[in-house]
Amino acid sequence: MREKKWFPIGYMFVVSAFFSSIIIAFARVTQVRVEANEKLAFERAVVTALPELGGAELTNAQVHQRFIEQVSEPDPSSGGAYALKQGGQVVAYAVPMSGQGFWAPIAGVIGVAADKQTVTGIAFYQQNETPGLGAEITKPAFRNQFKGKQLASGDKPIDMKRPGAELGASDVHAVTGATQTSTRLERIINEALRSWRSKMGQEGQPS
Amino acid sequence: MSPMQTESTQRKIIMEGLWRNNPIFKQVLGICSTLAVTNLVMNTIVMCAALVFTLALSSMTVSILRGYTPRNIRMMVETLIIAFYVIIVDVLLKAYWPQMSTNLGPYVGLIITNCIVMGRCEAYGNSNPPGVAFLDGAFNALGYSFVLLIIATFREILGMGTFAGLAVPYFSSPAWDKWIIMVMPPGAFFMLGIVVWIFRSIQVEKEDKPK
Repeated sequence: MREKKWFPIGYMFVVSAFFSSIIIAFARVTQVRVEANEKLAFERAVVTALPELGGAELTNAQVHQRFIEQVSEPDPSSGGAYALKQGGQVVAYAVPMSGQGFWAPIAGVIGVAADKQTVTGIAFYQQNETPGLGAEITKPAFRNQFKGKQLASGDKPIDMKRPGAELGASDVHAVTGATQTSTRLERIINEALRSWRSKMGQEGQPS
Repeated sequence: MSPMQTESTQRKIIMEGLWRNNPIFKQVLGICSTLAVTNLVMNTIVMCAALVFTLALSSMTVSILRGYTPRNIRMMVETLIIAFYVIIVDVLLKAYWPQMSTNLGPYVGLIITNCIVMGRCEAYGNSNPPGVAFLDGAFNALGYSFVLLIIATFREILGMGTFAGLAVPYFSSPAWDKWIIMVMPPGAFFMLGIVVWIFRSIQVEKEDKPK
């Protein structure tokens, strides 16, 4: 049988079918978990960017619970952002943002207080920048800079200055050795904030 | 084979994989991933574990099927088997360690094209029984792993002042001006070159002495 011309073809079919079916079954079993992980990463970013909800120290279950209980889904009154409401009043907005990073897309959330000026935090749930360089954007050292910054009116709500430069009320330091990631991230943040502002019909629209 | 012989064969396989025929500094295979994943120790450990798993099991599977696989399509079958194990690792990471899965990005998937895996399946798994093929795969992967860990340790400490994310005294203090280049791709080339040089020198010295 092994000398037959069709044998290699038949053999390949059988082997492929065997291994593929195991993988398909395996992927099916874990699919729910994989999707839950992705959703959770997003929820964690939203919760981290918003004030008073806690951050990295929360367990997955706590993140999910706080997201469900306190964060409301985007609607026209929030300009497409997620909102944190307490006693019926909006306390802060979580503006989703995404765009191309240096290697791969970066996606995250920036939190802005109800005054639409004060940044409450920033978090990322998707990025593939260089570990140790661009990927430092996910570290608290970089992210904590944003807390309390006042968004500038005009084209550049947030300005990234070179490391070591003096900072104004709306400036943060870029990541050392990751100029590409920093400039792209700056663009991603500012585009998201500009479009959110124009949806909110607020002051600070580009003239 | 008598037990005595089996033992010495096993020892020989272990020595070959770890030292005499080390994939990195002797065979110079799988360099692409060496350069890519060695800037943080933690990523390197996971990558190496994935490689040990894939290489040992692929080599064994290739060996089990070696009596049936027609020679002219054996490369296709080998690639399929390797891809099978790599996808399993990838799915496992995505489901149970999403953070690490994002860190490693596409590199887990690229184990499929890692030359060591195909190389060992071809050179060993294809012509030896499953047990020793497994052993050969595992120890070649371990030989690869220890060299990678050395490279990663130096790169992370010199470039970031940390080891597996933990701050290292002196290197994490302001007194040490971090060599950013070490965590960037050129740093990998420097370290790899130095490591290959050192290990080959030691090897040459050892081989010369008894003669």
